[in-house]
Amino acid sequence: MSSVRVVVGVLGMDQHELGAVGIAKMLRDNGMEVIYTGCFNTPETIVATAIEEDADVIGISSHSWEYLYYMPELLALLEQHELDIPVILGGSVITEQDARKMLDLGVAAVFGSGAVVTDMVDTVRRLMAGETAS
Amino acid sequence: MKSNATRSNITLNPVYAPDAANSGDYAERFGNPGEYPFTRGTRAYTGQGWIQRELSGEGDARRSNEQFKYLMSLGQTGLDVIGDSPTMSLMDPDHPLARYTVGTQGVSLCRHEDYRQLLDDIPLDQMSVSSSSPSMFMVASLYLLAHERGISPGSLRGSVIEWPFYAEHCSYAYKMPFDLHLRMSCDVIEFCAKEMPRFHGYLEDTYFFSEAGLNAVEEAALGFVEIRHIVRTLLARGLDIDSFAPRIAILTNCSMDFYEEIAKIRAIRRIFARMMKEEFGAKDPRSQSVNIAVHTSGLSLTTEQPANNIVRGAVQTVALGLAGVSALEISTFDEGYRTPSKEAHLVGLRTQQIVDLETNINSVQDPFGGSWFMESLTDEVEAKILDMVRDIEAKGDPAELVNSGYFKQFFHGTMGRYHHQVHDGEVVKVGMNVHQMPPEEDRMLRDISEEKIEPMFDRIEEIKRFRDERDQAKLLDTFAKLYDVVQSDENMLEAVIECTGAGATMGEIAGILRQAWGTPYDPYGYLTSPLADKR
Repeated sequence: MSSVRVVVGVLGMDQHELGAVGIAKMLRDNGMEVIYTGCFNTPETIVATAIEEDADVIGISSHSWEYLYYMPELLALLEQHELDIPVILGGSVITEQDARKMLDLGVAAVFGSGAVVTDMVDTVRRLMAGETAS
Repeated sequence: MKSNATRSNITLNPVYAPDAANSGDYAERFGNPGEYPFTRGTRAYTGQGWIQRELSGEGDARRSNEQFKYLMSLGQTGLDVIGDSPTMSLMDPDHPLARYTVGTQGVSLCRHEDYRQLLDDIPLDQMSVSSSSPSMFMVASLYLLAHERGISPGSLRGSVIEWPFYAEHCSYAYKMPFDLHLRMSCDVIEFCAKEMPRFHGYLEDTYFFSEAGLNAVEEAALGFVEIRHIVRTLLARGLDIDSFAPRIAILTNCSMDFYEEIAKIRAIRRIFARMMKEEFGAKDPRSQSVNIAVHTSGLSLTTEQPANNIVRGAVQTVALGLAGVSALEISTFDEGYRTPSKEAHLVGLRTQQIVDLETNINSVQDPFGGSWFMESLTDEVEAKILDMVRDIEAKGDPAELVNSGYFKQFFHGTMGRYHHQVHDGEVVKVGMNVHQMPPEEDRMLRDISEEKIEPMFDRIEEIKRFRDERDQAKLLDTFAKLYDVVQSDENMLEAVIECTGAGATMGEIAGILRQAWGTPYDPYGYLTSPLADKR
């Protein structure tokens, strides 16, 4: 199987990049191909990159409540483009309650600041396996 | 920290004896507090302690003004203001990218009227106003406000941060060429030195970039690289070192690495003094002694078990009291989620007050002075900082390093490293990577910490209306003047102040600066310039 391609980015005016950079590095260390898009993304730029790069997974890192508004827009845009790319969200600002809200909306997985790398990597692999199976 | 080394990888021995420290010549290496080389403190004993303040600013200017008054009613002795993400990035609230974050992580400021409301009823000649919001605009409005209130700009106190080297790659991007950002910074410093001599027109903020996972040595070294370049640039303009150096201050971070943070502050004071005197020829003792303010590390805090953060803040405050600092802000218990809540402000200030008033900490200056261990550690930290500054400067012109992405790469490296350190337990965080608790039990202070600040959609509409109500002809006239000034060698402040007084917004002024520099008015590609005929 060719390596998993993950688009990683931060949305809006959120400029706390530490989590995104850390995750990108760890995914790479675990054999995944990361397309790192940095800050100032919108749902449109993330989707455009995902299409261009033929992404298997989208990873959004957030240290701002902007995600509460952008994530529904991102999911709707993916649907509009008929793209079945799972979106994973991570960040310390995400409360338990908001995490549930995001999962209900259709986000594939949500991770807090204490998340363990192996869990994240496993989740990505599991999502990939699920896709292949269906 | 569980290993026997500091975060900067300096080995800590279980015990220190007289042979550990190079005691040397007291006057040459230490001096009393207030004496060169200021290792032991910039001022002789006053017993006054430090300026106590907490990070503030949320929603619009009116709401933030209420917050200031609340903090002052609790005994706060200075203001510390942060802008929201758009403000910090020179973007007006009605920019499409700003939409969901107006006023949520700081105060939304974009026009002179905002500053008027922000500082309403604040005695500007008595209260020090320190601000992380873009310096040029804070200074322009403070200057206008002083005139409006009939007080001398010379009586204004406080500081603004300058961050041309690192802002673009770490925290809040201006989306400007480095040379333009540097020119803005130097113009502000030069203007303040002449017009607002009590005000610190240059606070070197090593806090924000060190939160990219840097250790104490890296933080100080990068700070000095920036200070040295800015000083050289100002000297090249023909300014006398003693005309601006007295108002250089440094805002540092403070992690949980207790001893090393104290040593860092002592080392910074000595390095700064020697650099200013020996290398830059400063004669005024005020140019050689640097005021150090501190913001305790947000990165050292956790979203897990938020009450633990109160303890961290207290420990850091003790460290800083022992080091001797001029002002302090504690990152509060809800830092992982938000800018401080009312409750967090209260706890933060009370922590400072308890350490200040109940412990006798301010009765003795530099109590670690002469400690075999602390002097040895200060020497080692100092040597490592100097080595790193030399190494970076040996790579070439620091300005070229910024442009070539050297620092961006560096920060990405430290971010990845920090992530590993926390993940692998090398940096211990109680409640996060040891002594965890199931989420359902982790309830103490959780509701307060998780309470959100809603984006101010009203503010977007307010600014749109405001734009239409201005005298457009007058505005265009001031924009055209500013455009020409940017293309000349003149200091830009006067033209910026004129634009600000005419009702220009920060986003517009920043756009004109970019445009006159030959770069896009709106780097994000959404807006068009009011000066459409230029280029």
